[in-house]
Amino acid sequence: MYSKQWTRIILITSPFAITLSLLLSILYGAKHLSTDIVFTSLIHFDPGNTDHQIIWHSRIPRAAGALLIGAALAVSGALMQGITRNYLASPSIMGVSDGSAFIITLCMVLLPQSSSIEMMIYSFIGSALGAVLVFGLAAMMPNGFTPVQLAIIGTVTSMLLSSLSAAMSIYFQISQDLSFWYSARLHQMSPDFLKLAAPFFLIGIIMAISLSKKVTAVSLGDDISKSLGQKKKTIKIMAMLSVIILTGSAVALAGKIAFVGLVVPHITRFLVGSDYSRLIPCSCILGGIFLTLCDLASRFINYPFETPIEVVTSIIGVPFFLYLIKRKGGEQNG
Amino acid sequence: MAKKYALFIALILVVSYFSLTSGSFSVRPAELLSTLFQIYPNPQYEILLFDLRLPRVVMAAIIGLGLGIAGAVIQAITRNGLADPGILGINAGAGAGIVAFMLLFQGQKEVTSIAAAMGMPLFGLIGGLIAAILIYIFAWHRGNLDSGRIILVGIAINSGFSALSLFLSLKMDPQDYQMAMVWKNGSIWSANWTYITAVLPWMLLFIPILIGKSRLLDTIRFDEDTVRSLGISSNKEKTILLVACVAIISACVSVAGSMAFVGLIAPHISRRLAGVEHRYILPLSGLIGMLLVISADFAGKLFFQPAEVPAGIILAILGVPYFLYLLFKQKKGENA
Repeated sequence: MYSKQWTRIILITSPFAITLSLLLSILYGAKHLSTDIVFTSLIHFDPGNTDHQIIWHSRIPRAAGALLIGAALAVSGALMQGITRNYLASPSIMGVSDGSAFIITLCMVLLPQSSSIEMMIYSFIGSALGAVLVFGLAAMMPNGFTPVQLAIIGTVTSMLLSSLSAAMSIYFQISQDLSFWYSARLHQMSPDFLKLAAPFFLIGIIMAISLSKKVTAVSLGDDISKSLGQKKKTIKIMAMLSVIILTGSAVALAGKIAFVGLVVPHITRFLVGSDYSRLIPCSCILGGIFLTLCDLASRFINYPFETPIEVVTSIIGVPFFLYLIKRKGGEQNG
Repeated sequence: MAKKYALFIALILVVSYFSLTSGSFSVRPAELLSTLFQIYPNPQYEILLFDLRLPRVVMAAIIGLGLGIAGAVIQAITRNGLADPGILGINAGAGAGIVAFMLLFQGQKEVTSIAAAMGMPLFGLIGGLIAAILIYIFAWHRGNLDSGRIILVGIAINSGFSALSLFLSLKMDPQDYQMAMVWKNGSIWSANWTYITAVLPWMLLFIPILIGKSRLLDTIRFDEDTVRSLGISSNKEKTILLVACVAIISACVSVAGSMAFVGLIAPHISRRLAGVEHRYILPLSGLIGMLLVISADFAGKLFFQPAEVPAGIILAILGVPYFLYLLFKQKKGENA
């Protein structure tokens, strides 16, 4: 089986590939640093040295953040595609990211003195709200869970949530703070916030991996998952919980980043097949590397200025999305 | 029919009246009339009404008219009741064209000058047409426009062109960037008579074309074979109709940014009131569009004082529930 070989290749090379992409992300940017400086700063950190400051306070948090967020979004996308059996499911299309940003706006209006950890929790609540809204509406509609209907419901719900946030932010004059939450900001990654978020990412990813076998059964359809009986609902709920934790932390940390959750699981599925016990770990690895490299590319498209990361992910994601539609159209399980 | 037209015209006049008279500085009815008809001109009111409030109402009316009619035609061509220029990505395409225009000609001349105001819709047209062509290429399935795919492709095109606009707008000077951002949100605050003169020719040229083709639109509803058997070369006619729609939409977007959902809601209400004949549907849809945009602009001004929320945002907040309601109402088994 090619898919098994690919799984092995991805898993074995992952430590090297991840280290390499992190290293590239630390070395290159508006200011190029040499490998020597990076290594000396890792061993002997000198607070007086500007390069060391750049490495520790900007480059490392940024690289680590991109890696974690990419992994989280890719795993969320894979889980959502599995449990809805819908090839277009992903956090940015299904209203999860916008729900998170909406609740954060609401909290900035009502509870402006919230601490970072509170913001994080609001972000989880928001992701849950977005997911519940979209899936609730889909359950009420005829054919609500077909790829086309679900994507449409997700998109318009996102439009509603983002318009409400925009109206609120204009009224309470916090548009500037809001755009800070809304637009992706990997370049302003705060090390403290990252440390706070890291355990959540770990919990989410461990949950996803431990659920992966059961997600495979659910993804195969009603006939096979019937043998799971009542557990099917529990699995779906647990999987959504994991999506909410992962996407919620990602949005809280760096705002909305589209298409990672859609593109990466598909590429991974092409390589390792549809068995989720392989698909989820591999998506996790490839997602992290993918976003780290996109982030690196964003520094060079318009050098020396940074390009927003969503421009880079859209350049890759939009053609990919169009290709998926062209090939699969409205089929349920394409 | 005449009664329905009259009802909507009356509603438009009422909302316009409130929009003209209320605000941070209210105007009494007698003063409004005397200033409008130049009976006892008062310079203070003249500035307020002719330079600030009236252009806004007139602009909102023109945009609503254009989007209402273009939306009805697009729904007829695609045979898809959920089609809306905003959702399909035509607004975003036109928007990217206009941002490109702002970038290319930045600093060279005043962007509010008449030449620039005339050039913007042209660039918008190019962007809008590219979006429309992409929709056709990707949504074409087994010799027909697949109605589910149209919307999915629209979602993709929307995000693609938004990313492009974002990328282009970051290359601008901070000052132009600010302007581009205000414009992008779909607001009518920047309305002035120059913009109105710039869009008006497009409306006067293309709206009559669309209304003139009402009978054709009535037949396009039927499936491809029927249309062909009636001796109509449907692809050629559809192309003409689509170009005319995109032209109207681009002109609207160039002065007011993206206004989603007008082209969705107006045709629906209109079809419910006017039946199946497009010679009634189109004008009524235009009137409803007018009413929607003028009201949204007024609501954005009234309910959020002292701040102002762009009409585009108000329309999205109203439009989404309506859209979901339509989706909900669809018959089982019917593909969206």
